[in-house]
Amino acid sequence: MGQNKHEYPLLYPLIPLLLLVPLMKFIFGMDSFEAAFLIVVVPLLTFPTILIVGQIFNKNDTWKEKYKEGGIIAIGSLGISLSVTLWILIDYLSGTLHFSNLTVIEWFQWISFDFLQSDYTINPERRIIGVGIWIDSISLMILFVATFLCFLICWFSMGYMNTDPINEDRNHRFYAEFVLFSMGMFGMVLADSFLWLFIFWEIMGLCSYLLIGFYYWKVSAAYAAKKAFLTTRIGDVFLMVGLFILYDIYGSLSFEVIFEDPSTGVAGALVDSNQLFWALLLLFVGAVGKSAQFPLHVWLPDAMEGPTPVSALIHAATMVNAGLYLVARMVPFFDVHHHGLAGLENLAIIIAFIGGITAFMAASIAFVQNDIKKVLAYSTMSQLAYIFTGLGVALWFYNTDHHHAAAIAFGASMFHLFNHAMAKGMLFMASGSVIHEVHHAHDHLHDAGDGHDFDPQDMRNMGGLASKMPITATAMMFGSMSIIGVPLIGGFWSKEGIIAETWKAALEEEPLMFFPAILILATAGMTGFYMSRMWLMTFAGEPKSDVVNHVHESTPWIREPLLILTAITALGGFILALFGAIDFLSNNTDHLKMHGILETLEHAFLPEDLNTRLIGWITIVLSFIIGPILASRVHGGSLKDGEKAIQPIGFLVTLSGKFGTQDVEELSKSQLSEALQNRLYFDNMYEYVISKTIIPFASMLAWFDRTIIDGIIKQIESKSVLGSLQVRRVTTGSARDYILMAAVGMLSIFVLIWGVNA
Amino acid sequence: MEFKCQMASGGVKINSLNNISLDILIPEIIMTIGMLMIIIIPNLGDAKIRLPLSKIHIPILIGGTRFTQVNNPVIPSIISIITFSLATLMSLLMLLNDNTGVMEPIIEVNQFTSLFSMIFTFALLLTSISSLYRLPSQANAKIPDDSDSEKSLNSKITILMNNRRQVDFYILLLMAGLGMCLVAKSTHLFMLFVCLELASLSSYVLVAFNKESTIGGEAGTKYFIVGSVASAIGIYGMSLLYIWNGNLEILSLTNAWSQMDSLDPFAGIGIGLMLVAFGFKVGAAPFHLATPDAYSGASSPIAGLLATASKAMGFVAMMRILLIITIPENGEEAYWMIALAIISVITMTWGNFAALTSTNPKRMLAYSSVAHAGYMLAALAAIGTGLGDDESNALILTAVIFHLTILVLFKFGAFMVLTLIENEGNNHNMTGLHGLARRDPIIASSMFIFMLSLAGVPPLSGFLSKLLMINGIVNISAGTGSMASVAFWSWASSVNMIFWLAMAIVINSAISLFYYLRVVMIMFFEDPITNKPLARSLYLRLIIIFCAVLTLLFGIGPLSESLLEIVNEAAQSFL
Repeated sequence: MGQNKHEYPLLYPLIPLLLLVPLMKFIFGMDSFEAAFLIVVVPLLTFPTILIVGQIFNKNDTWKEKYKEGGIIAIGSLGISLSVTLWILIDYLSGTLHFSNLTVIEWFQWISFDFLQSDYTINPERRIIGVGIWIDSISLMILFVATFLCFLICWFSMGYMNTDPINEDRNHRFYAEFVLFSMGMFGMVLADSFLWLFIFWEIMGLCSYLLIGFYYWKVSAAYAAKKAFLTTRIGDVFLMVGLFILYDIYGSLSFEVIFEDPSTGVAGALVDSNQLFWALLLLFVGAVGKSAQFPLHVWLPDAMEGPTPVSALIHAATMVNAGLYLVARMVPFFDVHHHGLAGLENLAIIIAFIGGITAFMAASIAFVQNDIKKVLAYSTMSQLAYIFTGLGVALWFYNTDHHHAAAIAFGASMFHLFNHAMAKGMLFMASGSVIHEVHHAHDHLHDAGDGHDFDPQDMRNMGGLASKMPITATAMMFGSMSIIGVPLIGGFWSKEGIIAETWKAALEEEPLMFFPAILILATAGMTGFYMSRMWLMTFAGEPKSDVVNHVHESTPWIREPLLILTAITALGGFILALFGAIDFLSNNTDHLKMHGILETLEHAFLPEDLNTRLIGWITIVLSFIIGPILASRVHGGSLKDGEKAIQPIGFLVTLSGKFGTQDVEELSKSQLSEALQNRLYFDNMYEYVISKTIIPFASMLAWFDRTIIDGIIKQIESKSVLGSLQVRRVTTGSARDYILMAAVGMLSIFVLIWGVNA
Repeated sequence: MEFKCQMASGGVKINSLNNISLDILIPEIIMTIGMLMIIIIPNLGDAKIRLPLSKIHIPILIGGTRFTQVNNPVIPSIISIITFSLATLMSLLMLLNDNTGVMEPIIEVNQFTSLFSMIFTFALLLTSISSLYRLPSQANAKIPDDSDSEKSLNSKITILMNNRRQVDFYILLLMAGLGMCLVAKSTHLFMLFVCLELASLSSYVLVAFNKESTIGGEAGTKYFIVGSVASAIGIYGMSLLYIWNGNLEILSLTNAWSQMDSLDPFAGIGIGLMLVAFGFKVGAAPFHLATPDAYSGASSPIAGLLATASKAMGFVAMMRILLIITIPENGEEAYWMIALAIISVITMTWGNFAALTSTNPKRMLAYSSVAHAGYMLAALAAIGTGLGDDESNALILTAVIFHLTILVLFKFGAFMVLTLIENEGNNHNMTGLHGLARRDPIIASSMFIFMLSLAGVPPLSGFLSKLLMINGIVNISAGTGSMASVAFWSWASSVNMIFWLAMAIVINSAISLFYYLRVVMIMFFEDPITNKPLARSLYLRLIIIFCAVLTLLFGIGPLSESLLEIVNEAAQSFL
């Protein structure tokens, strides 16, 4: 830990940045939302700065030691974004600025253009596309999640990336892309029109490609980067078409214009709900791609090829939340209470179905994964699917004018986004900590890079780490508990809400909703199993390889983000639930309001509605009791004799050994297990389809390009060169010939002049 | 019989200068003063003269032992740089203040002439700055002695020679500048021709300035021979015009031309011959053949001067002949239109094709400047069709003048980069450019910008001017095609042939990309022959970066708009 004290003085130069907000507020008298542009502009400027400075000072000792190859600059700029976000958040919550629900600030106009009407005349009004920001409780919440987690992950990266020799002299590229990625998310959340949303959306797509492929010399990483980029691109194309239809309907992509009254389109025409259905469906496909939902989910597990901070960034802070944000933005279209369009229930049901299917499928695949990051990846997919289901249900309620139920479902979904992001960010950092230390221990034990086939991410090489890495183990425990939905901890509050509302929709209104309702209820239990399994395989039982004995927590920069997020995960959910976060996020109230503890607890555990109460308790039993106990039977076990872990963890580990053991050898050889191992053959299927359709088509095009187009070009080239040699032959170098040519030219001029004019 | 009468009545009026107002000739006066200073200042010394019949010695300051302060061979270049800076600045001020004035009958100053004197003096300023490094002077040069090895002997002799000829070089530059500026301002063919010769003769000597290398001497001689033949042809044409009109004032020639019923042989042949002379100056095919030799024989700064200022001078003269004297007023086709159109296509195609396989960067740039001349001639031919109204003609002319203006930035910029390379001794092939990006990324990036701008890639200024030219040509020709039937061929066969000039420019630009990008490829992807960084050459470096930045800024954004506005005003003041 001595190394720790040694490194933190590097952050001292950043301290003046803390003065930025007070400076702007009290000296320049700026309002918080006026400073909001800094959230995007500062990272945008940091990106080229790190890249260029890094290129120049690469391999320089000061750059490496004092600036962490750009890490300090990156964390500084993210710190500015975070502080401005907090400033806006505080203003918003305290009501000093009195935002209405929808606040837009216009900064400047980007381009203006004439546009052609359908009768081929130019509209006299010029269309202006401006840049502005849009702040409401949803965008603020996601913005906070993004800025806060990006900041912490950047902090974590300085420990994770800079201590690994494989990244040496490349880290400036990492930090630059990291900052650009963060900028994309901040900008997307703040954008006040679908156009800018899309632009930032694509920036994120690009950065995900760059960062997943950070180890581009590894074939698997390059493949994963391509896969992620292309899969999300498929969604993006649909999204773009959806935006075209939206533009066709409303004549604008600005939120202000569209959400003013979604039922009337351009020039006061009534909007056809069928047309809008297709537009929103296409938008949803884009969200499905970005948030890795069935059937465009295949990229997410492969994206684990990137460095672990990148996984944390994609899974918690930025990319996957983008799709959720887009769907959450659709509420005004559905809300029949406020000018929404009736007749979109089918789309809501589709969203809920996709959510339900993905949740169940991802959870079942997570059962058999042995790579610690892959388990987390599938858990992300599954949890996001919960949110999609919740949003689907909320949109369904909005569209059928059940405003109150809709608000609860929506608020719960958004709250789950928050809880999941915090927990998942921490889980990835904790897994990064485990991987990093195991890797180091392995390198320490066997000479680094001796070609020995050892996977530091494989949980079958771990076990019994609870005593070696107490902080990581605690963090991971709380994170898993939040994801499982252990009562009172983070995810519990939101997951309960989603499941209860889905069942409510199914029981009381729409029988079709039974399908997602049953799936997500089952998933709750499965989550309990696979998260416990992951924790137990890693931390409990006896060490499964000699490496474990040499693992110890020592890398600086990693501890603090874990501790902060542990506190937030453990307590934040409960506190926010007390303050009525669900109501707040559904735009029901303007600011947080304190509820009584007992009232909240009663509301959660003993709701008046009998069905809800039943469902709630079934969920708790499944996820908290049955899942973990089954996991303990298979993977649990006490630590080796003599090893001691700190209190609560030690208790858990010992407890896990008490449920006896169960042999699952038979089960793991079954066909089902094999299918799950192979991710339900989705990749194989896609690959088969692609190899039968796109690849032949592409090779045909390639043939056409090579023979026909290239052939023509080559001909032109060789003929040009021949012509050039001919032409140059005339330039003999003799002045006599030059004069002769001039005379010829002169005569030709006369011939031409007289030939034409005579 | 007719011409005799005119002789009697017209007479030569050159000796009667009305309204002599020197304030409109400030740039020329500055250059003249600069010339005197270059002669006087290095000669300041302690010479005294004894009053006759007395013992009083009066110091006359010229001659004797030179003062130590003036004994530095760098002084002529400094004076030259200051002079050209001042002249550029004054031209710019005159341009911005709309200074106009006339000295009947030979000089007229308006925005057009101010713009061009700014172009000329700026190009000469760039020449002077790059010559600081190309033709370096060295204070306290050592005199060789017997103990020297052959190598150090040679280098010492070179240094001494360079010191010795500083004055000659910069006086020639000033002389060329004076001639060029006056060409732009003259409204009398005789004046125009004399000033053209002043500039041309100076440039012949400048091309041959490296006389110790055979290639320089040969290039200068060839350039001089071909150039003087062209001049002779031009003077002959002018004499025919004199026979025809009895007066060489441009105004008088214009009037006479417009009153002519059918083409008078004297006038037609006279103008045609002058076209040949100016065609040589702008480098139009087939009179361009000596230019690649001249460029590759001359030092890079001089080649840059020829490619920008000298070419612009030729265009000014040509525009006076073609667009003022012989343009029909009633929208008819000018009689030289077909000839000019065909010359322009031959010129651009020849230039581009010849540049394709050039292995000498200076020759490549020479051919590229031939191609550029072709583009501009095509635009002039479009004005000659008489299809456009005044406004569209002014727009095409704006495009041409804009191109000539910004050419100073990127064509000269490219030559300045070559100057840096040349100082290392790689004079005649591309090897000096190999791997330049690795040796000197900033210079290589600037060269990249110059090449892209020469090729006309957006958003650089070379694109803007080319776009304006093509746009102008298409604009006036697009309405001429038959719209009666939808078939493409009937339209294509009935459209004015000038439309196909625009097509020729587009196709030629595509061809030209090949050799411009080859330079880029060589700079960025080949291995350098040495890893030594380029010489520091601070001022040259700064001015290269300056040119690169301006190339970009004049291509897009507010700066390009204001420049276009100025150029448009200049074009309107010319027409």
